[in-house]
Amino acid sequence: MGKVKDSKLTILSLAPPILTRREFLKSSAVSGSAILVSALFISRGSAQEASRPRYAMILVDYNKCTGCRTCETVCSAFNNKVKVGEEELPGLGNPYLSNIRVLAFNPDVDIPVACLMCRDNPCIEACPVEPDPKTGRKALYRDEKTLAIKNDLARCIGCQSCADACRAKRVGAIIPNPRTGYPERMCTLCDGDPQCVKYCPYGALSYVVGQIDGRHYGLSPEKIAERLTELWYYHQPAR
Amino acid sequence: MEKLSGYHGVILEVDLTSGKVDKKPLSPEDAWRFVGGRGLGMKLLWDRLKKSRLNPLSPENPLIFMSGPFSGLPVPSASRACVVTKSPHTSPLKSKYKFASTISYANVGGFIGPEIRFAGYDGIIISGKSSSPVYLVIEDDRVELREAKKFWGMKTDEFDRKLTEELGDRRFKTCYIGPAGENLVEYAAILHTAARAAGRGGVGCVMGSKNLKAIAIRGTKVPPVADHKRFITLLEEARQGFKGAPLTESWRRYGTASSIVTSSDAGSQAVKNYREGTFPEAAQISGVAAEKRIWVRDFACFCCPLACKKSGAVRSGPYAGLVHDGPEYETGTMLGANLLISDLEGLMKAIYDVDDYGLDQISTGNVLGFLMEAYEKGYIDSAFLDGLDLKWGDVPSTIQMIGKIARREGVGDLASKGVRALAEKIGQDSSKFAIHVKGHELAAWNVHVSTSRAVCYATANRGACHLNGGNPRSQNNTAMNDCTGLCSFAQGGFRPGLLRELLSSITGEEWTDEDYAKTGERVYNLEKAMNYREGFRREDDNLPDRFFEEPLTVGPKKGAVLNRDEFSKIMDNYYQERGWDIKTSKPSSEKLKSLGLDFVLKEIGS
Repeated sequence: MGKVKDSKLTILSLAPPILTRREFLKSSAVSGSAILVSALFISRGSAQEASRPRYAMILVDYNKCTGCRTCETVCSAFNNKVKVGEEELPGLGNPYLSNIRVLAFNPDVDIPVACLMCRDNPCIEACPVEPDPKTGRKALYRDEKTLAIKNDLARCIGCQSCADACRAKRVGAIIPNPRTGYPERMCTLCDGDPQCVKYCPYGALSYVVGQIDGRHYGLSPEKIAERLTELWYYHQPAR
Repeated sequence: MEKLSGYHGVILEVDLTSGKVDKKPLSPEDAWRFVGGRGLGMKLLWDRLKKSRLNPLSPENPLIFMSGPFSGLPVPSASRACVVTKSPHTSPLKSKYKFASTISYANVGGFIGPEIRFAGYDGIIISGKSSSPVYLVIEDDRVELREAKKFWGMKTDEFDRKLTEELGDRRFKTCYIGPAGENLVEYAAILHTAARAAGRGGVGCVMGSKNLKAIAIRGTKVPPVADHKRFITLLEEARQGFKGAPLTESWRRYGTASSIVTSSDAGSQAVKNYREGTFPEAAQISGVAAEKRIWVRDFACFCCPLACKKSGAVRSGPYAGLVHDGPEYETGTMLGANLLISDLEGLMKAIYDVDDYGLDQISTGNVLGFLMEAYEKGYIDSAFLDGLDLKWGDVPSTIQMIGKIARREGVGDLASKGVRALAEKIGQDSSKFAIHVKGHELAAWNVHVSTSRAVCYATANRGACHLNGGNPRSQNNTAMNDCTGLCSFAQGGFRPGLLRELLSSITGEEWTDEDYAKTGERVYNLEKAMNYREGFRREDDNLPDRFFEEPLTVGPKKGAVLNRDEFSKIMDNYYQERGWDIKTSKPSSEKLKSLGLDFVLKEIGS
């Protein structure tokens, strides 16, 4: 990861675009983002999918956020489960432990802040821990399966360089644990079912999954149209 | 009661006189019987007001910020905090005591209620008085008073930003007073997020009397829950219940502003100082008009799916560039229809200034309406108004008058004491159109067309209150919502029984419908007993003559007027249903005993 230099993707990952209502489908945040993503990258056959670099993040539609902080409580509840008897259940949703945080401003503007899943990983870049020769991972690394930033507690030295880098270069999503200094609050994407997206009462959050280096990436509009015409109108799907 | 689930079990008490901070255990008995919010706040108030006649502006009057057992948990719309104190703004017709006044409470949404619980408390009691202006910072266990001299005199909008800046952390939730509270305007409010307010009943005045400019809270905890699994399951049901529900959609679109036109059409709006119930120009200040010209975004309180708060901007005219909430039903009616102001942009300026100075929107609009009427009728002249030409519908003089009240400058000093004080001074028959009950001004719902609204205002324990409910059952229900921390606007989004089941899962005590109703009744009776002890009697549960003597002259309800005999009969029934004495309104011993309020008996005499 991190090898693909892709200017358009970088722009997308550096700053979550402020999407207007028109850019989203009304009914479903996921399908709305799927439209957006498919325009940029449509993945190839599933056999190759696993090997291609994928991309996933939570996008914010600031126009729709009302600052209610439901996202904080469901994020916290899912990512801080509690054991009740034999069962593992969602927690009570302490906003302090949430990976997404809504910052309120005056005049009224509410900004949900979460890990941007940056393609250039300033947090990992800043991690001073030597990469493990086997895995190539520093203490802070991107998990290839979940696509989220993770911290290897066994190797983390609590220096907070990652949090500093995130704060200085991006949104300050990483918060060091006040006691240990270990980085916390990196978005986990909730195993592919982000709770903040699912529960936002206002549809302000979307889960964007894309295949970077997809087959339409970088092509001219004419070329994309030609391929889509073939796919949509003339292609005979095998049944 | 031994065990206490659903609560931190800690009430924070800060004595501003000595600077001493105390973390007091919450009595499990009190928590079970008075729940939280308004109810538990009243019990704490009762415990501290050992007897009547306490001056509400003396250091001994506690100012109590309460959360409820839903607060701090992600129960939809459980965002409300309740500020409880002894009112600086009400008084009985007759009392042995100079400082007799009602109980007071003011309810505020936003984030303060939850944050109190995040910090690890179930409530905060402010007592004493600081020798100089201070503000209180609470960060979990750390509690600290900071100097606030540099902020004294600052209006709320600017202060909201400055305080966050000084705290250096946007996650602090703050509430504060403006110049009105500092200057002890009797109906000063406590503001939160520059536009939300614990507005009614003079709670900002009491805060000002303590030299307390603000409270800033930040916490990292959540309150405990007795039955985790049950709570999570019910929570999911509650959340799903709001999804796509008609209630959700209508609140989101216009908030309370939808009522500006519908209430006018029903003849139930406060128009021209309550002389009329219909405002022919209502459409000009309506939610539809505001949606087109003012509103920018919807905002919500903690975990609320309704987002009834609308922020907006004035785009044209002398107030272009102004950014604020509104109009909503109360603000738009009290400062719009009630003053015959139909200039939407001008109305926005008035709403902004009232919030910015830290005044109560309702009482302020009511006072202005009274002054306009007295001026029109020639009871007062321009000289009385310091040269202002305070005519119906006039925005500039309205704006100037708002500033005068907040600064208590000139006529503003008298006006800062409310319509009753003004009517006493002006004399003649002006008390007929001084629209208050027990000294507390009526809100934006007119009474001519509704006897149930008349009962609602007449019997409210904090003085005229539009949210009180028009019969005992509804009043007890509202009181209970004010205890749990739920917003009454959202109650209809919960399946019947779901709220008490949620409360059961949190507290570990099984709440029945009867418990729920009885607790509201207990709270209501405790409040009533405190008022009775101060000298409030049946004759105080009355309405201004206007509603009985001057029928509406315009609109679909033209001719509507209250009938005194009918009202009196309905009140007889009300007291009977309450178990209160028909002549004196005194709660009966049997009623108090049945509610477990034996401890008030010896205070009010059995």
